[in-house]
Amino acid sequence: MKKLRTILVLLAAFALVAAACGDSDGGDTTAAPSATTAAPGATTAAPSGDAITIEFWHAMADDLGAVVDELVDRYNASQSDVVVNATFQGSYDDTYNALLASFDAGTAPNIVQNFDLAAQTMFDTGRLVPAHELMAEGEADGFLAAPRDYYSDDTGMVALAFNSSTPIVYYNAEMFEAAGLDQPDPDWNFSDFLDACEAIEASGVQFCATFGTVGWFFEQILANSGGLYFNNDNGRTARATEVEFNKGQGVEVFDFLTGLIADGHAPNLGNTWSDTDSVFFAGEAAMIFDSTSGARGFQDNADFEVKTAFIPHSDSSERNGVVIGGAALWLIDSGDDATNQAAWDFMRYMTLADQQITWHTGTGYFPVIASLQDAPTPELSTFWDENPNFVTAIDQLATTRTVNDDGSPNYAVLGGRAGPFPEIRRIIVEAYSAVLDGGSTPQEALDEAAERANEALAGYNAFFDG
Amino acid sequence: MVVLAIFVYWPIVESLRLSLNRVAPFGNAEIFVGLDQYTRLLTSGEFWNNVLVSIYFMLGTVPVGIGLAVVIALLLSYPVRRLSWAHRMLIFVPVVISSAVAGVLFRWLYNPVVGHINTWLGAFGIDGPNWLNTRTWALFAVTVAVVWRQLGFNVIIALAGLQQIDDSYYDAAKVDGAGTWDRIRYVTLPLLSPTLLFLVVINVIISFQAFGEIDILTMGGPGQATENLVYSVFVDGFVGTRFRGLASAQAFLLALLVMGVSFVQFRGFRSRVHYG
Repeated sequence: MKKLRTILVLLAAFALVAAACGDSDGGDTTAAPSATTAAPGATTAAPSGDAITIEFWHAMADDLGAVVDELVDRYNASQSDVVVNATFQGSYDDTYNALLASFDAGTAPNIVQNFDLAAQTMFDTGRLVPAHELMAEGEADGFLAAPRDYYSDDTGMVALAFNSSTPIVYYNAEMFEAAGLDQPDPDWNFSDFLDACEAIEASGVQFCATFGTVGWFFEQILANSGGLYFNNDNGRTARATEVEFNKGQGVEVFDFLTGLIADGHAPNLGNTWSDTDSVFFAGEAAMIFDSTSGARGFQDNADFEVKTAFIPHSDSSERNGVVIGGAALWLIDSGDDATNQAAWDFMRYMTLADQQITWHTGTGYFPVIASLQDAPTPELSTFWDENPNFVTAIDQLATTRTVNDDGSPNYAVLGGRAGPFPEIRRIIVEAYSAVLDGGSTPQEALDEAAERANEALAGYNAFFDG
Repeated sequence: MVVLAIFVYWPIVESLRLSLNRVAPFGNAEIFVGLDQYTRLLTSGEFWNNVLVSIYFMLGTVPVGIGLAVVIALLLSYPVRRLSWAHRMLIFVPVVISSAVAGVLFRWLYNPVVGHINTWLGAFGIDGPNWLNTRTWALFAVTVAVVWRQLGFNVIIALAGLQQIDDSYYDAAKVDGAGTWDRIRYVTLPLLSPTLLFLVVINVIISFQAFGEIDILTMGGPGQATENLVYSVFVDGFVGTRFRGLASAQAFLLALLVMGVSFVQFRGFRSRVHYG
């Protein structure tokens, strides 16, 4: 009897463990690659005659996803040769996991959206059709330099920048007024920023600014200060083998960012994109660092007037500008020229002016083609007049120095490229904590981060030695 | 059997294979490294930190969670009959909430600037800590969230165990002159021991698998103060740069650890559990 009970208890325990495992897989929204979600879409037959069906996987949820669907519908209605089947795959990580699973299962999509930091890894899949192979002569020149060059290698443009964003400073206009501050100069440096902080805090606001200890702001302010993240020209003239962020500008930038929190100018909210919003909306902080893609949300959700400013740069540097963020569309080689051409036809359609205007006004992501900025349509001009915050975002990118005075590329603002970049971004999050909560100096924390980052680079590069 | 083979055995074999290889993030390049990833893990400070976090987390959640559950179950089993169904429901509600939702709720509570907990503490003149962003408090804060969500389940199981105990035992104890406390100490707890063993085993396993709250509240931070083994497997295997070989090796070590702990539990409790 005793034995039977023990066995029963054991069985019950294992049943529960199994249930718990299943639960944690299903409940978590950022993990779980799912080969099964890949299958149904990929096997959908072409609805009519000779039309080619193109599978398009994206990571745009909710409102953004609705705009994607609108554009896809518009494309499908515009012609009858190609039918695009858009599938929302979850977060960027989910989409990427699904893509990897689909490579194994042979159900890969034709077009997939993947985020900026994954660029090197996408290149290394060896499964892409580079965009430049399908482009007409000179077509690449129609794109803005920053999004074009970010996703280019030495042969040309590889992926199509789709949802491009950059960091920006949103501020509470009423608090700025109360503190006697004007619109910050586009060229403001750390000292100017700290002067503003003093005025703001003197006027009775608890925190001057708020931002998550995510890796992105460090990367961007470093670029704005002209500093490189990786060696080999930010990993753009050869594979990155070492990080550079623990030298020179990197230390000055990290000292500034950690100092803002350590000196009480900003609360320590950790690795977050949402807690900072609550603090800003609650009127506890006058400024917030966030993405330009949040412009509409900040404008609509704050019960005070929100204005925007450029991100600052270090005292010892000139302003360089920002690195394009967001994600791009990648064309996966189907092995069939006609299908690849059909997929490209859709991608090109998405970059035409009409679609770019819908995308920009509906989401806040930039138009990536030059013509709209040189000669905006009346519709776009009106929109910009009514939404000056969108203009700040565009100006910040348009005035980015992508080329140095001597004509050489400014690799700092072209952005770093390395296989394990996502991993390294996480290491920077831990470096923040080492300074704010672990007693390290910014230099020590960056040195330790650099050591781990270099290990990650060596581990990744080992796949390509030989 | 076929289903088991496809969904259980094959993945186990496959992940054992992965754990012996270094796998490129995009899966098309593998380097065989034998046991190298295991030795790297066993000699790395990060891995042992993650093991320690898992163990602290177990020690923090299991005794407190079960102790609280027994106390609440005892209170519920006493005759405030008219209210008790409502109480039971209220106690059980957190179990139905997904760990992700619970995590978001606690995130709001813990927010150092606009969170409720520090606002309340402030009303008493206490300057609350930065719960989720200091190494001293983060693990504690996550532990509280997990204990809270798990509590309803534990209470219900404990309550079921209590109701199994025949009234005649209590009557006999009363006749012998035992007071309330003595009855709990000498009648209730021994007779509840099979239920308690069940709760311990389940809760230990759940504590090792804690994921949702950690992901939402701290993402393993600050530093790696709340990064347990499961979270580390997730980060290495499924986020950003994917080190799937390394993640598989960790998953195997985690499985060994859980098996070891379960074995010790059954050995240790065998002599102490009374089956009525």
